[in-house]
Amino acid sequence: MTDLEYFKLSKPERMIRGIGRFFLNLPKKLAGGIKKLGLLIVSLFKGIGTNIADLFTTFKNGDWKTRLSYLVMGFGSCARGQWGRGILFFLFQTVFNLYMFFPNAQFSGCYYLGKLSTLGTVATYKEGRKTVYGDNSFFILLYGVLTLFFIIAFIYTWRMNIKQNKVSEELLKNGHKLKTTKDDVNSLMDSQFHKTMLALPVLGVTIFTILPILFMILVAFTNFDATHQPPGKLFTWVGWDNFRQLLATDTTSYGSTFRHVLLWTLIWAFFATFLNYFLGMLVAIMINKKGIKLKKMWRTILVMTIAIPQFVSLLYVSKMFAADGLINTYLMKWGWISAPLPFWTDPTWARITIIVINVWIGIPYLMLIATGILMNIPADLYESARIDGANAFQMYRKITLPYMLFVTGPYLLTSFTGNINNFNVIFLLSGGKPLSLELAGNAGHTDLLITWLYKMTVNDTNYKLAAVIGILVFIVSAVINLVVYNMIPSIKNEEDFQ
Amino acid sequence: MKKILAIVLTVAMMLSLVSFASADGIDIKIWVAENVVDFTVEQVEAFKAANPDFADINVVVEPVGEGDAASKMITDVESGADIFGFAQDQLARLVQAGAIEEVEEENAKVVEAENDAGSVGAVKLGDVMYAYPMTSDNGYFLYYDKSVVTDPSDLDKILADCEAAGKSFYMEINSGWYQTAFFFGAGCELTFDTDSEGALVKMNSSYASEAGVKALKSMIKLAKSPAFMNGSSLSTATNVGAIVDGTWDSGAAKDLFGDNYAAAKLPVCDGYQLGGFGGFKMLGIKPQTDDDKLAACDALAAFLTSEEVQLARYNAVGWGPSNLKAQQSDAVQADVALAALGAQLAYTIPQGQYPGEYWGLATGLGDDILAKKYDDADDAALLEILKGFEATCEGYLAK
Repeated sequence: MTDLEYFKLSKPERMIRGIGRFFLNLPKKLAGGIKKLGLLIVSLFKGIGTNIADLFTTFKNGDWKTRLSYLVMGFGSCARGQWGRGILFFLFQTVFNLYMFFPNAQFSGCYYLGKLSTLGTVATYKEGRKTVYGDNSFFILLYGVLTLFFIIAFIYTWRMNIKQNKVSEELLKNGHKLKTTKDDVNSLMDSQFHKTMLALPVLGVTIFTILPILFMILVAFTNFDATHQPPGKLFTWVGWDNFRQLLATDTTSYGSTFRHVLLWTLIWAFFATFLNYFLGMLVAIMINKKGIKLKKMWRTILVMTIAIPQFVSLLYVSKMFAADGLINTYLMKWGWISAPLPFWTDPTWARITIIVINVWIGIPYLMLIATGILMNIPADLYESARIDGANAFQMYRKITLPYMLFVTGPYLLTSFTGNINNFNVIFLLSGGKPLSLELAGNAGHTDLLITWLYKMTVNDTNYKLAAVIGILVFIVSAVINLVVYNMIPSIKNEEDFQ
Repeated sequence: MKKILAIVLTVAMMLSLVSFASADGIDIKIWVAENVVDFTVEQVEAFKAANPDFADINVVVEPVGEGDAASKMITDVESGADIFGFAQDQLARLVQAGAIEEVEEENAKVVEAENDAGSVGAVKLGDVMYAYPMTSDNGYFLYYDKSVVTDPSDLDKILADCEAAGKSFYMEINSGWYQTAFFFGAGCELTFDTDSEGALVKMNSSYASEAGVKALKSMIKLAKSPAFMNGSSLSTATNVGAIVDGTWDSGAAKDLFGDNYAAAKLPVCDGYQLGGFGGFKMLGIKPQTDDDKLAACDALAAFLTSEEVQLARYNAVGWGPSNLKAQQSDAVQADVALAALGAQLAYTIPQGQYPGEYWGLATGLGDDILAKKYDDADDAALLEILKGFEATCEGYLAK
């Protein structure tokens, strides 16, 4: 259809066409994304292939020092006078060998690597009344993964060692001088200072953040729960069973409970984000208006709720709304109601109450943000709009709203994903209750995926299902983020805006 | 200079993550409720004085509530306490997780002879005894304000009295523990049989019956009453006329009601006496890898649950003993709360093992009643609900 015909269509028709266009483009975009992923994997393999080919050529073309370095790391560097590097390489190799082939089998890397596929086979037994512990599946999994990391690091260092030899050989052949140890140490404090500074933190992050995350992802594929607790009992791999249980499409227990909780999580995140956003903006606009006196006082009152820690204020407010709390007691005393209002016992009431209380907490933050942004909108835009005869609502829709949405686009997205995991508000206000016979695994009607995960971990020690929920939460957040981020105008129309 | 400082600070940050630990000799860690920590420390000293063989053990007593002790043990057995106090509903869970050791044979015989039948039944799974019984007072009964409630023997009268005085009747009907007062009282049964490994192998249930429907209707009627409040803890209750609670709140009840403090067994409701559970607290020992330490733990746990120490504990903090002779002492007989509990115990069954999910399921049932979901349901619908409840409970059995 031509542009002229397009503009002749009415607004709803244009919207429908826009939505249709979005869905039609979706497969194309997905295909494009998958193609990019495929190219990435192919380039990864190509990289590995080139490296392996390089290994062979270096061995063929290298001198005896290079060839010996394949066995004894650092030999080539030492032989060519770079003692510092050579000794470091050799030290690394020694530490690695010590770890892998430690004499006490219980602590060696090979021990853990060997048991990794079965996660332990020797059960705990009793000698008389003394307990003799067998394999500890937990430690096998943890140290097994650590060993794998170590092996990868070793292969990388070994490859670096070979490359260094090749480069040094080339340099010497062309008559250049190699960097001495003194040069190396100086460069570490100078041009290579970033390596010195980052070495320890990177190590720390790998061991204390990446390793535990990988460990917990792997737990999702085991049967680590209340009846399989190390050190007394073993647990083992069960593949995709846990995922099948949680994503079951039948209407009983875990499958339906998961869908129920996921739906509420998304609804909650939507309302928590957008209701706060628009109401916060509204309050900011109201306070900003020309006729309002004591602007600072209003803003201060609203900001005071931020000063009180959420823990305290939420716990107190949840008591206020209880069946025998302040609100019900006073309403009954004044005769407005005859039975306490079921704020926390009726599922729908509980959900609405939580959303409303969250508005009370969230508005001050949004008001501050909105005030700052509103002040940036050039006043002459409003002037010219007024001259053209626009009323307040039209000015809001055409000037204020687009500007605000443009600036806070990424903030809204982060806020939405943050609210998907908003543990504090739900747990402190309602504890995820009310529970119900229809929901399995002690899930409640106001439970988010994250609070259900918490209950499963702390109360039921059902770590395997908790790990699966964690992975699914990540997938949901990641998909929403990736899809929406590329769609919001803040990213697409950046040049237009400037 | 700045660069060196930066490196030094980074290293210091990393080093702060390293911690050191050391141990030598026999170290025993004990977890008990906070209000008996000092008492337990005294008793440990008495034990060491009476047993010179064990004079050089180091004992550390830490305050960990009975509700949390079992969960903490299961999460990490190796760093948990060697002796810990818990309530009997956690026993199956602890055995299944391998976090508790059997009671030594000689000690088991003594325990069986000296403690009341309910507590002995509560510490056994199948035929194996796993813990040392400490108290028999974990059941519930009725505390009430004498000036408000004139006749504590009938639930309808209690509710009428409370309504007239503008006070509330508290009972936690969305708890699987208190709910059974209605079901068991009406004549239903819900118990699980375990094997010696702590696995639940059989369910004995008659909830889906006329009696069950009667009990469910009583609960729905109770929830409709304007004087009814759901809850069982005096610390969060306001305007209490009467409350179904246990001996742990006897101090708070005395403070609240003052001269009008009174306790009685649970009332009759719709023609049947409310029943429920009798609960017990016990001391467990975690599996040990060293014979000497195990012997020390055995002796210490047996001592802490012996007749003299149980009586001393009652005098110190008011915990009703499970030891038969201690129960007969004058001090225990004169206690109002314990007398009410004793009267109620005649109508209770000792709480056995229940699957962990049962408690959530029962809370779900209670929450549905509180949400007024069944207010207009007829008998047939209520029967269906109970059938579903039973079926779900059956699904909790070990396969």
